[in-house]
Amino acid sequence: MTVRRYLQNWKGVIYNLAFFLNGLLIFLLFFEKSVAIPAWMFPIGRLHPAVLHFPLVVLLLYAFWTMIVEKEGSARWNVELADTLLLLGTFTASVAAFSGFLLSKEDSDVSQTLQWHKWLGVSISIGSIAWYGASKYLLPWRMPAKLFAGAFLGLLLVTGHLGGNLTHGEDFLALSPPNSTEAVNQVSIEQAEIYENLVKPVLQQKCYACHNADKSKGGLQMHTKELLAKGGKNGMLWDTTKPDLGLLINRVHLPLEDKKHMPPKGKVQLTDEEVVLLAEWIRLGSDFKEKVTALPPQNPVYRYAENVLGGNRTGEVYDFAAADPANVKALNTNYRTIRQYAPASPALFVNFYNRSAFKSSDISDLLPIKDQIVAMDFSKMPVKDEDLKVIAKFPELRKLILNFTELRGSTLGELRSLSKLRVLALSGTGINNASIKTLNSIASLEKVYLWSTGLTTEEQTALRADKKIRFETGFRSDTVRIALNPPTIENEQQIVMGDTRVRLKHQIPGTQIRYTLDGTVPDSTRSPIYNEPILLTNNALVIARAFKSGWYGSSSTQKNFIKANYKIDSVNLVSLPDPKYKAKAGTTLIDGIKSAAETGSGNWLGYRDADFESYFYFSKPVAAKGVTVSMLQNIAGFIFPPARIEVWGGADEHALKLLKVIHPALPARMIDGTSDILINASFEAPALSCLKIVAKPIPKIPAWHPGKGAKGWVFVDEVIVN
Amino acid sequence: MEKPIFDFGMNTNRRHFLSRLSLGIGGAALGSLLVPDLFKSDTENSVNDIVSGLPHFAPKAKRVIYLFQNGAPSQFELFDHKPLLNKMFGEDLPESIRSGQRLTGMTSNQTSFPLAGSIFDFKQHGNSGAWVSELLPHTARIVDDICIIKSMNTDAINHDPALTFFQTGAQVGNRPSMGSWLSYGLGSENQNLPSFCVLLSRGKGNGQGVYSKLWTNGFLDSVHQGVQFSSGENPVLYLGDPEGMDRSERRRMLDKLAKLNQGTFDEFGDPEVTAKIQQYEMAYRMQTAVPEITDMSKEPESIVKMYGPECLVPGTYAANCLLARKLSEQGVRFIQLYHQGWDGHAGLPKEISGQCKDVDQASAALVTDLKQRGLLDETLVIWGGEFGRTNFCQGKFTKDNYGRDHHPRAFTIWMAGGGIKPGLVYGETDDFGYNIVKDPVHVHDLHATILNQLGLDHERLVFKHQGRRYRLTDVAGKLVKDIIS
Repeated sequence: MTVRRYLQNWKGVIYNLAFFLNGLLIFLLFFEKSVAIPAWMFPIGRLHPAVLHFPLVVLLLYAFWTMIVEKEGSARWNVELADTLLLLGTFTASVAAFSGFLLSKEDSDVSQTLQWHKWLGVSISIGSIAWYGASKYLLPWRMPAKLFAGAFLGLLLVTGHLGGNLTHGEDFLALSPPNSTEAVNQVSIEQAEIYENLVKPVLQQKCYACHNADKSKGGLQMHTKELLAKGGKNGMLWDTTKPDLGLLINRVHLPLEDKKHMPPKGKVQLTDEEVVLLAEWIRLGSDFKEKVTALPPQNPVYRYAENVLGGNRTGEVYDFAAADPANVKALNTNYRTIRQYAPASPALFVNFYNRSAFKSSDISDLLPIKDQIVAMDFSKMPVKDEDLKVIAKFPELRKLILNFTELRGSTLGELRSLSKLRVLALSGTGINNASIKTLNSIASLEKVYLWSTGLTTEEQTALRADKKIRFETGFRSDTVRIALNPPTIENEQQIVMGDTRVRLKHQIPGTQIRYTLDGTVPDSTRSPIYNEPILLTNNALVIARAFKSGWYGSSSTQKNFIKANYKIDSVNLVSLPDPKYKAKAGTTLIDGIKSAAETGSGNWLGYRDADFESYFYFSKPVAAKGVTVSMLQNIAGFIFPPARIEVWGGADEHALKLLKVIHPALPARMIDGTSDILINASFEAPALSCLKIVAKPIPKIPAWHPGKGAKGWVFVDEVIVN
Repeated sequence: MEKPIFDFGMNTNRRHFLSRLSLGIGGAALGSLLVPDLFKSDTENSVNDIVSGLPHFAPKAKRVIYLFQNGAPSQFELFDHKPLLNKMFGEDLPESIRSGQRLTGMTSNQTSFPLAGSIFDFKQHGNSGAWVSELLPHTARIVDDICIIKSMNTDAINHDPALTFFQTGAQVGNRPSMGSWLSYGLGSENQNLPSFCVLLSRGKGNGQGVYSKLWTNGFLDSVHQGVQFSSGENPVLYLGDPEGMDRSERRRMLDKLAKLNQGTFDEFGDPEVTAKIQQYEMAYRMQTAVPEITDMSKEPESIVKMYGPECLVPGTYAANCLLARKLSEQGVRFIQLYHQGWDGHAGLPKEISGQCKDVDQASAALVTDLKQRGLLDETLVIWGGEFGRTNFCQGKFTKDNYGRDHHPRAFTIWMAGGGIKPGLVYGETDDFGYNIVKDPVHVHDLHATILNQLGLDHERLVFKHQGRRYRLTDVAGKLVKDIIS
């Protein structure tokens, strides 16, 4: 019981409040002209958009209920609920009407829509309280109540619609999407006017909603050129004498939080590009007729136009139906990929890969989806002339790439059935001028690629003059003469053992390699031609160059080879190298590998305190004519050529003869870097079984060197016998 | 012992079930956002299930070839013509220009910053009238096909972070590389080749290292990793069969292996196992696809003259450009070249001359070659380094010899094809070439633009990893609309 009383009390309070508000509203309307709303009340007005949906829905519900109740008994179970609904609707309608009234006072300019909305809103508020008061007499299962409910429904809808127009703009409900500027933008950049095609669409999207004939906030209407130029109650919109270009640009640049910032916080803001557009248009004098093309291409407005009018993100629009996805999926293989041109686009493009896997039936298999394929790429596939007959059955083709296929061109005319073909690439095929002429019957054709085909220069020039189709003939090699790159010497080892030969190579087919062994630079006429690997008889500097007709000769490449006619069979290193540079002791000297010119490579034997002294043996006596000792020089690092080299030899290890003594030249000043030195000793020794070599480090480094007076180093890595 | 094992089994099942479930729902939700007509009554219309990756909108470019000039070429010797520097040759850089902006440790203790103008001549070329120096005669010939951006800028001032930033959008390592993002977003065009390939070459100039972290897949699936092609007999290591093994035998072995791997996957549900199976399968197909591509013997002589005779010498920049064209033609989504040796701290004039000889002809040839095949409109070519070089001299300074330090605030790159406006010079630096005065393009902006050309919205190409959504452009990046045609 207490609950019920409480409820009734609660309803009473609400009913009273609604009455109060309606009364206040009528009073204010009566004295509307002289009413001054205090600033603190404006927030109540701003509640209007939040509150208004409540009475709208609740009253709609109640009206519906009234209209469907058939007879007294049928409504018993929800009479109580319906009563509450009407009461709540009445109360919130009054709140909405009151707040709406306050909101309407914020703006001095009152459009007709606003007037209608206001009076209709007030009538809803008052009408609903009257309805509640009279609900005892207006029995919902009787006709009068139903008529009243119907009228009320209409009232609610009209008022709501007008309110919607006020907030969202009149065209909000129009059939086209809000981005209807697209249609305006469908002009080419040559025809586009700055105001009509660029500025106006921006204003339309971002400003018109509040500055139009019905709702001129701040007294400003922007929807016609005249009114835009006139400005609002704060004056003209632009003033190019001011650094900020006047009111409009100033407002746009205010911080978002600022009350005067435009568009207001919460509305869709201008993008940076749009701000630049507006500012630049105003700076240029806010001309309503000027064309975009009157501006230099570097102007930001020009660039904006290019982006808006030319930057079409969606690409071409295809008007055919999509293929059966199951079909497409089944036709996709590892060597034939079928892809959608863009998401949700029906257009497909096909690429073929792997020459060895290609069959002619790979093309005809695609015929079930011929109405969707817009591009095909057959680069390097063995496509033959007769295959074009099948390709010609794909009516939607826009781009067809047949580069480096096996086409000869006899069936090129078949392609005339491709009425949408724009790009045709035939580079690297065997087509001829006559077959190209047949392409003229394809009206849609824009570009044909003919590089690296058998066309003569004159034919190419004639084709390039064609007005309708652009023939790309590409790079021509016969007019270009450049230098070849030098050949490569393939031998890695500098020491050529026995009958090992020197191999030369050039990667470009048909190149002639010429070489010399005497230290002169090879020329294109007299120097020997390299036909087979070169057998060296002695140490030699091999110099080689490449020549080919249509090219300039290459620069030369060279390598020093040390000929080793006789293989040393064993070694006996008598003096021990310095522990820091001991390499692999004696074996290092006869391994046939010339080490890199690096001190720390670990392949060099280093001596300072002791002389280098070593015996070398041949299992069978040899008729040697000389010996080469490979050494290292690094003057800054105290590594000098030896002061003296002795070469001893003979048939008997214990009775060697001194064959040669050499005093290598010493440098007279500092030399940068590390370099090889090869010391050659020639002699006559018809039956050599044993060889002894002694190399003495210089006892005193000369005075010009920072380490003067100290002992020099000697580095050895190989001994080669000729 | 039994119980923990049982628990582990339960965990695995439940966890995987749940995570799959969420993925499925998330995927469907994302899909419904990306595909406007997913829930349209006529489902026959949708062919989306055939594509592994989705572009967000119609792409201009299908593939990218990035000619990375590693070590940072000097913009002053190549594209950014600054006569004032020659006029003020040897005078100190006015403090008002540098305004205390940071320098590297290599020049920060220099007592003076003598301005050094290029000793190489500049001329205007083509219809666009772009300034190009005498070091790049071939590039000068294609200025009407390329878009030169003079206002690039980056955050990093040293090689490794700058390079990593350019490749992955972050200075710290381990984020996915640009190529991996594209592979992730768009999938592969050709199922027989990796969608991201890497080619290295080296000039004679002062070099800086490149490391495999630059082509890492980061937190993306490892199928998106870059595959390095080497210059030797086997461009792709370990691809060939061992001697004595024929293809059918290899096939049988792979089938058996796949069965074993599938068993492991069924047991543990680790997606890396599936990735492994896929990689084996691709490698099997690559065994025939790669030799077809790396065989240069069928290239006509005009190609050799175009790229320069070195293009047949494996491992050179020219050979890599030619290979890049061939890979691209075969549908490889992203091909990353690195040419080392541009780090001209000392003896710059001599070094840069050599570097330009290496790259000029082949870079220009690549653009021309794509053009004459009708492929330039769908292939985006990018040429540039990780930052620029200072307008003042580092170290020893003479009339015809100088060095330049790192300069991240303004440098030049060029782009061609792929829907980029040809014949445009974009952005400007001040008369000293030190600061940008017009249209700056940050690395993030470049990334956003590259993705856009491939039909991807850089703000929507995301991957969630350890609770955070990652993008190539991180939280920045603005499309450079002005260079898009």
